[in-house]
Amino acid sequence: MPNLDTIRSLFYAKSVAVVGASANPSKTGYVILKNILEGGYAGAVYPINPGSESILGVPCAASLGDVPGAVDLVVIVVPARAVPDVMRQAVQKGAKGAIIISGGFREIGNAELEAEVMAIAEAGGIAVIGPNCQGVNYLPNKLCASWPLIETRGAMAVVSQSGTIGAAMGGWAAEDGLGVTATVALGNNSGVPVIDLMQFFAQEDDVRVIALNIEGVRDGRQFMEAARAVLQKKPLVLLKPGRTAKGAEAAQSHTKSIAGSDAVFDAACRQIGLIRAEGIAEFYDYSKILSLLPKPAGRRLAILTSSGGSGILAADVAEDLGIALPPLGEEAVQALREKLPPQCVLANPLDLTGDATADRYRVALEALSAYDVADCFLLIFGDPIAGAAEMADAVRQKLGKPIVVAFLGGGEVEKQEVPLLIRAGIPAYPTPERAVRAIGALLRKS
Amino acid sequence: MNEWIGTALTQKRDLLEPEAWALLAAYGIPVPKHRLVKTAAEAVAAAGAIGYPVVLKVVSQDILHKSDAGGVRVGLRDAEAVQAAYAGILKSVRAYQPNARVEGIFVCEMLPPGGVECIIGTTHDASFGPVVMVGLGGIFVEVLRDVSFRIPPLNKADALAMIGELKGAALLTGIRGQKPRDVEALADMLLRVARLVQENPEIEELDINPCIVYEAGAVPVDARVLLKSVF
Repeated sequence: MPNLDTIRSLFYAKSVAVVGASANPSKTGYVILKNILEGGYAGAVYPINPGSESILGVPCAASLGDVPGAVDLVVIVVPARAVPDVMRQAVQKGAKGAIIISGGFREIGNAELEAEVMAIAEAGGIAVIGPNCQGVNYLPNKLCASWPLIETRGAMAVVSQSGTIGAAMGGWAAEDGLGVTATVALGNNSGVPVIDLMQFFAQEDDVRVIALNIEGVRDGRQFMEAARAVLQKKPLVLLKPGRTAKGAEAAQSHTKSIAGSDAVFDAACRQIGLIRAEGIAEFYDYSKILSLLPKPAGRRLAILTSSGGSGILAADVAEDLGIALPPLGEEAVQALREKLPPQCVLANPLDLTGDATADRYRVALEALSAYDVADCFLLIFGDPIAGAAEMADAVRQKLGKPIVVAFLGGGEVEKQEVPLLIRAGIPAYPTPERAVRAIGALLRKS
Repeated sequence: MNEWIGTALTQKRDLLEPEAWALLAAYGIPVPKHRLVKTAAEAVAAAGAIGYPVVLKVVSQDILHKSDAGGVRVGLRDAEAVQAAYAGILKSVRAYQPNARVEGIFVCEMLPPGGVECIIGTTHDASFGPVVMVGLGGIFVEVLRDVSFRIPPLNKADALAMIGELKGAALLTGIRGQKPRDVEALADMLLRVARLVQENPEIEELDINPCIVYEAGAVPVDARVLLKSVF
């Protein structure tokens, strides 16, 4: 059993020192300090820089030893060769955690320097994230020791070897109004093991999905066992690049992981019911749906659309994924015929046609709610349909089934409606195909 | 350690085919009737005991590809054919690889037609350890790479799922009026092979290629077990 308390004390640090804080806005040491301050972190913040009096209005200390109060967490942005000394000071100061942003370790062949740093941390009981990483943004503690500053809190925990992939996930989630619980960049991942982070987030109440990006696993069996245990509690979406021989080669040189054969890794995922995303777009799409919806009771999907062409695109992907589009049934069709204008195509997909309003969707959904036509509903808004979010939110109760939305061709209305939908807990996607693939991932949930 | 594996390791070689079959049989996998012989007369006697038609194969630790060496003769229907095949194999092998040590000739029951050729294999992954593979035989595995993998230990649902993942799974479950093949028997063999490689960590690779899946039952035709060079 890993010591989850060490991770907790790192993320819930009550005081943070930024070693290598800088007054130069182009430096990482400036950006991180600024994000911690602007993110609204409530604890004490100590910039460490022997050459400055104060940075961003906060008094500097020359070294960790000169900080007046306690330091729980040390964020390290100094060059690699200076890190062992900083780590020794952190041990003396009684720090519980360290985030090493600095690169220049194992990834460029300096394995000995990295080992030296990790040995000091381990002897001193300091939990380490990194080195060579983009830091940690832990929203429950408003602690953005990373970049960019993302403040929209949600139910998605992102653990990412790649800093950019983690930041992209956080950025998209903020833009969508979905938010994240945390983004943790692993970098060389020499400290807190990935599986411990997975287990930590699995038992956090406000996390509903864990999105994990890794380039390889050193011990495949150990990973499988850990993932199996996590999957008992929370869905896990995985992005592992390196599907092809060339990709795997790049992964090896990138972080020197021992990436096993991808076919074997893929089989391991299938075996334990881990949902693997094909690419970064799917990584976000699958994590989004899993953070908002429960698994539908069955594989029957009903599609309502204002765009015939979009409905066909959705139907194609559903067919590919083995998602059923059953006929609506005579009774339901009769009920729809009485309520809808004659140009509507009363089938599945149900084409409400290009002049459809939110109210037409409401009428159709209310009529369908009296019959057991599907386990999940996809609403394709293929026009500037105002009030779509309010309608979908209101009709959801009566329908009693998960609703997924594809919104496209909606101009300014779409930009307003999408965040409203997501805030109401209805996942919305920019294309019908992405929406259906996300439904496919939801159906794979164990 | 398994005795055949132990012997092979001390002699710094892989398992010979009769040993590989014995290992499969020890794990309850139904192998065809067989006998290892050292003379043409023994071969004829063995064929009589097994029942015609039979197959003769060379047994040699030095020959990796038996067919290429002319070391396999199939469809032998009588004593004369067996005698001729015995002499023919020795001649071909000597011509192909003069220094090859020949441990004997393997006389085996010739399996009836009507089955679907599959392949079962195991390999050793750097990250996951032993890995079990199943595929459809012939061009399906060689050209289309129609295979699927799992990591032992396997349960029956895993074994059935990996067979179901094959693109050509319909060949086993029955297409165009063909009767379904014994998928359960194939799954059972996968489970036994998975246990075999888990319990014998000295094995680097194991290949049953082909194994034939009938309407009732599944039988290995050719088996190869490679051991780790350093153990």
